[in-house]
Amino acid sequence: MERGLYIAASGMLAELVRQDQLANDLANASTPGYKADRASQASFGELLLENSASGQSIGPLGLGVHIAELKTDFSQGPIKQTGEPLDVALAGPGFLAVQTTQGTSYTRDGQLTVDVKGRLTLASGPLVLDTQGKPITVPTNGANVTIGPDGTIASAGKAIAKLGIVSLEGAAKAGDNLYTGKAGAAPAGTTVQQGALEGSDTNPARVMVDMIVSLRAYESSQRVIHSIDETLQRGIQSGGVGGA
Amino acid sequence: MPEGIYSAAAGMAAQQTRLDSLANDVANVNTTGYKQQRLGFRDLVYQAEQGIPIGAGSAPVDVGRSFAQGSLTETGDPLSVAIVGPGFFQVRRADGSVALTRDGTFALDANGALVTATGEKLVPPLTVPKGTDPASISISPSGTVSAGKTAVGRLSIVTVPAPGALAAAGDNLFAPTAASGAPVAVAGTTVQQGALETSNVDLAGAMTEMIDAQRGYELASRAIKTQDQLLDVANQLVR
Repeated sequence: MERGLYIAASGMLAELVRQDQLANDLANASTPGYKADRASQASFGELLLENSASGQSIGPLGLGVHIAELKTDFSQGPIKQTGEPLDVALAGPGFLAVQTTQGTSYTRDGQLTVDVKGRLTLASGPLVLDTQGKPITVPTNGANVTIGPDGTIASAGKAIAKLGIVSLEGAAKAGDNLYTGKAGAAPAGTTVQQGALEGSDTNPARVMVDMIVSLRAYESSQRVIHSIDETLQRGIQSGGVGGA
Repeated sequence: MPEGIYSAAAGMAAQQTRLDSLANDVANVNTTGYKQQRLGFRDLVYQAEQGIPIGAGSAPVDVGRSFAQGSLTETGDPLSVAIVGPGFFQVRRADGSVALTRDGTFALDANGALVTATGEKLVPPLTVPKGTDPASISISPSGTVSAGKTAVGRLSIVTVPAPGALAAAGDNLFAPTAASGAPVAVAGTTVQQGALETSNVDLAGAMTEMIDAQRGYELASRAIKTQDQLLDVANQLVR
């Protein structure tokens, strides 16, 4: 059958994935510490066409596109003052280490709270870890706790622990604002801001434009399918069968 | 079907919850001892779509309350008590359970017991001799209640290990839960007689958040519209 049909269809499928990714970015426009994704397309390998009768080379033929990878944009999100003593925003690269039931994960969501044992946790449950990888217990249910720019947690002027801030290699999203990856040393130049949260880095204007462009590309591929369909129909009506 | 339409719908639902919570905060801008809600968001699971991990939208997370101190207003009423610092008054509800409140609008019942505006007695109970003139009641910063020159008891201030997990029970009351832990006495908190703690809702902040939530809602609805257009284009493939 006509190869062009499948090439155009691959374009439509790729745009669908892109649209789903854009919808997710928009849905997370208010998620603290959320990092938007960027879908990049790549073409499938090309095919070298040859004249079946003479064996003479005609030239390469593209086989359409697919979404090759999703790159997370780790640019700094806007920092929003909340005044909450247990809200922390990270300025600069780096992640907070947290302990989930599945092991250590990492996050940029600094909306913290304390659990019944006085340990610092994320709102969704994971325990916040210190530089030694141990949970942090704060006195007096987190009231009167100060968190310094280097992540040192102090109560009544006495240092208790230091937030475990790490760099992350190959960070992959795991849901619940968590990332998995290979943790490294604390990145230079990362500071902690108490009483603030890092917002989502989703750029609504950019996502809207991407959505329109992608929708039009999707429509174009559909038109191509129509045109090829028409060509095939003409071919059938004139007694022959089209096709390369 | 495209997954994105559901991710965007999840985003809209999350923003709706945020709007509801903000509306409740704004409605309680004049409620004595009211504490603003803290709402968080989380991204949902990532599932591979044509080999690419795509998220399923967002969901709200309850982070409890902001226990920031509200400002104090003078009432001149000797039975108004404001808590300065962390902690709560402990009261017994009609069903026998213990609840916590920061609303110190007290009154004397027929037996001279100190009760809240909704009639709950303090735990432990505090009673002044029958016929005591409320104007003669004095309450020291440490919570000692005296009728005339006689000390009759002490207002106990308690807190729980995890205040974020307290359940709001209406009538300005918070109910301790398994996740919050049982109430324990708190040290270093003082009370002020003749004053009440106002709501800690920052109206300007809440309004800004509302605009942000509404725009977030609109953005997600745009994604739904676009996904709908995609389906429409796909439908037109077959004539």
